[in-house]
Amino acid sequence: MTTADIIAFTSRSVLSHRLRSSLTALGIAIGVAAVVLLTSLGEGLNQFLLQEFSQIGTNSIAINPGRPGTFGVSTGVINTVRPLTIEDGEALARLPQIKAWTPIRAGVADLEGNRRQRTTSVMGVGPGAPIFFGMNTALGKFLPPDDPQSPRPFVVLGSKVRQDMYGDSNPLGERMRIGGSRFQVIGVMESRGNLLGFDLDDLVFIPAARALELFNTRGLMEIDVQHYGNYPADEVVAAVKRLLIARHGHEDFSIVTQQQVMDTMDSVLDVLKFAVAALGSISLLVGGVGIFTIMTIAVRERRPEIGLLRAIGSTRRHVQELFLAESIVLASLGGFIGLVVGAGGALLLGVAVPALPVTISIPYLLGALALAIIIGLVAGVLPAHRAAALEPLEALRAE
Amino acid sequence: MPGLIRLEKICRDFQVGDQTVHALRDLDLLIEAGEYVSIMGPSGSGKSTLLNVLGLLDSPTSGRYWLNDRDVSVLSDDEVAATRQSEVGFVFQFFHLIPRMTALENVELPLTLAGVARGERAQRAALILDQMGLSDRAHHRPDQLSGGQRQRVAIGRAMVMKPKLLLADEPTGNLDTESGDEVIEIIEKFNVEGLTVIVVTHDPALGKRARRHLLMVDGRIAQDDCG
Amino acid sequence: MRIADQGWMATTAILRYPLRTAMMLIATAIGVSAVLMLTSLGEGARAFVTGEFKSLGTNLLVVLPGKIETSGGGLPGAMGGSPRDLTLDDAIAIARGQHVARVAPVIPGAATISYRNRERDIDVLGTSAAFASIRGVKAAAGQFLPETELDRAMPVCVIGETLRSELFDDANALGKWVRVGDRRFRIIGVMQDAGTVATINIDEALFIPIGSAQQLFNTQGIFRLLVETKSEAVMDAARRELIRTVEARHFGNDDITVVTQDAVLSTFNTIFNALSAALGGIAAISLIVAGTLIMNVMLVAVSQRTQEIGLMKALGARRKQIISLFLLESALLSLFGAMVGVAVGQLAIAGLNAAYPSVAFRAPAWAVIAAVTTALASGLIFGIMPARRAASLDPVEALSGR
Repeated sequence: MTTADIIAFTSRSVLSHRLRSSLTALGIAIGVAAVVLLTSLGEGLNQFLLQEFSQIGTNSIAINPGRPGTFGVSTGVINTVRPLTIEDGEALARLPQIKAWTPIRAGVADLEGNRRQRTTSVMGVGPGAPIFFGMNTALGKFLPPDDPQSPRPFVVLGSKVRQDMYGDSNPLGERMRIGGSRFQVIGVMESRGNLLGFDLDDLVFIPAARALELFNTRGLMEIDVQHYGNYPADEVVAAVKRLLIARHGHEDFSIVTQQQVMDTMDSVLDVLKFAVAALGSISLLVGGVGIFTIMTIAVRERRPEIGLLRAIGSTRRHVQELFLAESIVLASLGGFIGLVVGAGGALLLGVAVPALPVTISIPYLLGALALAIIIGLVAGVLPAHRAAALEPLEALRAE
Repeated sequence: MPGLIRLEKICRDFQVGDQTVHALRDLDLLIEAGEYVSIMGPSGSGKSTLLNVLGLLDSPTSGRYWLNDRDVSVLSDDEVAATRQSEVGFVFQFFHLIPRMTALENVELPLTLAGVARGERAQRAALILDQMGLSDRAHHRPDQLSGGQRQRVAIGRAMVMKPKLLLADEPTGNLDTESGDEVIEIIEKFNVEGLTVIVVTHDPALGKRARRHLLMVDGRIAQDDCG
Repeated sequence: MRIADQGWMATTAILRYPLRTAMMLIATAIGVSAVLMLTSLGEGARAFVTGEFKSLGTNLLVVLPGKIETSGGGLPGAMGGSPRDLTLDDAIAIARGQHVARVAPVIPGAATISYRNRERDIDVLGTSAAFASIRGVKAAAGQFLPETELDRAMPVCVIGETLRSELFDDANALGKWVRVGDRRFRIIGVMQDAGTVATINIDEALFIPIGSAQQLFNTQGIFRLLVETKSEAVMDAARRELIRTVEARHFGNDDITVVTQDAVLSTFNTIFNALSAALGGIAAISLIVAGTLIMNVMLVAVSQRTQEIGLMKALGARRKQIISLFLLESALLSLFGAMVGVAVGQLAIAGLNAAYPSVAFRAPAWAVIAAVTTALASGLIFGIMPARRAASLDPVEALSGR
């Protein structure tokens, strides 16, 4: 029997029990669709985060005070005996590899202006900050390149703060009090939305030195630097390290590159994707039990046919191949339907809920299909073997 | 109105492909309570269809049917089922016993369907099996019984609801002569006690035993004699 | 027809095909046990995390400087500054409240500790004597920080066990002087092994009096103030009282955030319950697959039992009776499958518990109920079509086996 014959024979027997075949395939289809849909969500999240992070300045390096703590965040961010200062930042900026930098000191403070009051996150930063936040001004301009030690008291509003305090009127040039000190509004940021639960629109930017004053501290929470692309990251990290050790006499800071953050995130999300794929595969397993059951029933029902095939000269191997092929056809049919439904569902979900990042993951898509076919193969082995083991005479007599 | 069964202009058409087959054509028939009737005729003459219509398994395309003074051609599905349950017993050529149930359970089945309590059910079924001479086989499954025994179980099942009418379709068709005779004698005994019996058969010897003989040809009663 | 009789008939029908029945039970059982196991993972994680917090006492208020009004800004309260510090004087005033049992201010920071030629970068925790009892930790040797006025700086410290062995190997650490930053401290105690308590690794930490921490880190502000109330019943009163106290001291501004253990716990509960539900939901998809299998097999059963159905009809079975017989059969299959699934799931969970005794894995009751209900519903819904098909068979054709 040629392969073409086997396919023709198999598809005929699959088609002769249309309802039964479609239900069997449906079982696999649901499993594959679940895997495809779930991994699409995982992949979507992955892509979304990668995109968000890559907007935050490529070639950037974050320096935090203190050694890395138990939970990744250093306690040194809160207090340290040797704080990271604006002077450290200035020194770093003089390195030939460094293109841009910003100090960061965050906190909360009361805002007063336009006869309204509000408590909001305050970001003390430098003029280079927009690169690292992946944000641009919508109105006016960002903080000007003043002397980092004594910058003018300017403030740039997040879009939500602007809306809450000034509505649609132009806030540029307005005076406002932040934690009791006077600031002048020189810009409004464009809306950026949430990043990992942190609302980037509900904050104001003021010069870092002013924030240190406001919060009565010398220490920065972080210094971000961006280096020129033609220097390898390792070399820049080494240079930064050398400089800071020279200034502090000690390695009392931690350095994380953008790439490290993205790599860590990537591996976490890879695990997540694998986990949801494995969860979805439980359904595939149940679908496999379905194929096995239906194939067992089919072998029993078609004993006369098997007898006849054997009587007219089919070998055991042929019979086995026929039933195995049928099982695989059912599984791949289901797998294919599940693929279309899962991918379609993912796309539809992406359109229906734009906030939900959905990206179809091709490797998992193919993996799910392959798994479906393997399940078909495994589920078919025993029934096919049983069919092949039937004695022709006995099988014929079953009629 | 007289008669246990009264048919008036009964027609039964089947659609086979694009052809209409007239299995019964304008059939009129009157059968009194207690009669013993055989229906004979060549294959395809409509005798099985007539039996199915009489047993309310099949409904006529047109015409009217009174069973026990009730017009059954207008009954709903469930009413028909209820009538079948209480008034008609069937005996089939292939017995139609449920293989996973014992002889007793098979006899009990109509009582079970009717919702009769377990105790009463077992009692009534055991009584019937006793009449069939199968008391010692009550807990055997059909595959442990001979053909004649199986058919006797089937008769027991048909009689357990004490119907007025017994319809038998080739009751001996699958039996050897000896067990066939046994089965017929049991049925005839019920007839003597007042049961109306209608037997469809190919077997002239069996047909002859009835008191009234109907011969069907092409969906009509070609001959109706009481000789 | 009586229910018991229907059940009996359905059971005999199920038992007639043991392999097929076993397969359907397995299919349903896989789904149900997966739901149970996955929700028990979520539940175990929840119990683990909330247990960590619960062990810290239920009558605890945590005071943070600055007021968090918007939900979006997760950062400021966590590590940012606030224009007006929460000071030690505030803490002293709060401690005088009538509902307050004791307070422990906390100033964390990073510093370098050195002893002779050994040096370590460590977490330093400036706090008071009350910290030990509030957080449920204690010194294994020597004593914890002494009971003094909160604002008194003293050159004493208590070190974690890991830190002790790193600096002193097996030598006695008590009474030794170590250098932390630019100051010297005398070791008066070594902590008992405690692992991580509320994100601080006790074994690697150094405790110093809060007044000393202010000098060391050159800061006035308290990072957190832990307040233990006299009882759980006065939590609300204590909370109102301490907000009034701060308001009076801060010129009418209640610029603090008060977090109760309950609030933290309920947040964790919400998160982990959502996680369990999501995991269970994904696993429940497989129950639908099991449903399609049941439907398929019931369809096969209808076609194999055509003659039997015909016979039942000839014997006067109503349409409804046939439907309920077949529905009952699929319901029984899914119910038995679900029961097997619950048993297997619970067994697996018992195994998990044996393997990880520190986490209490337990399938929540709602998950068990939901899994069994879903399995049953799936069996019933997918059973409807085959049952209707059986009921609508023509008796004559069915009897002839066509």
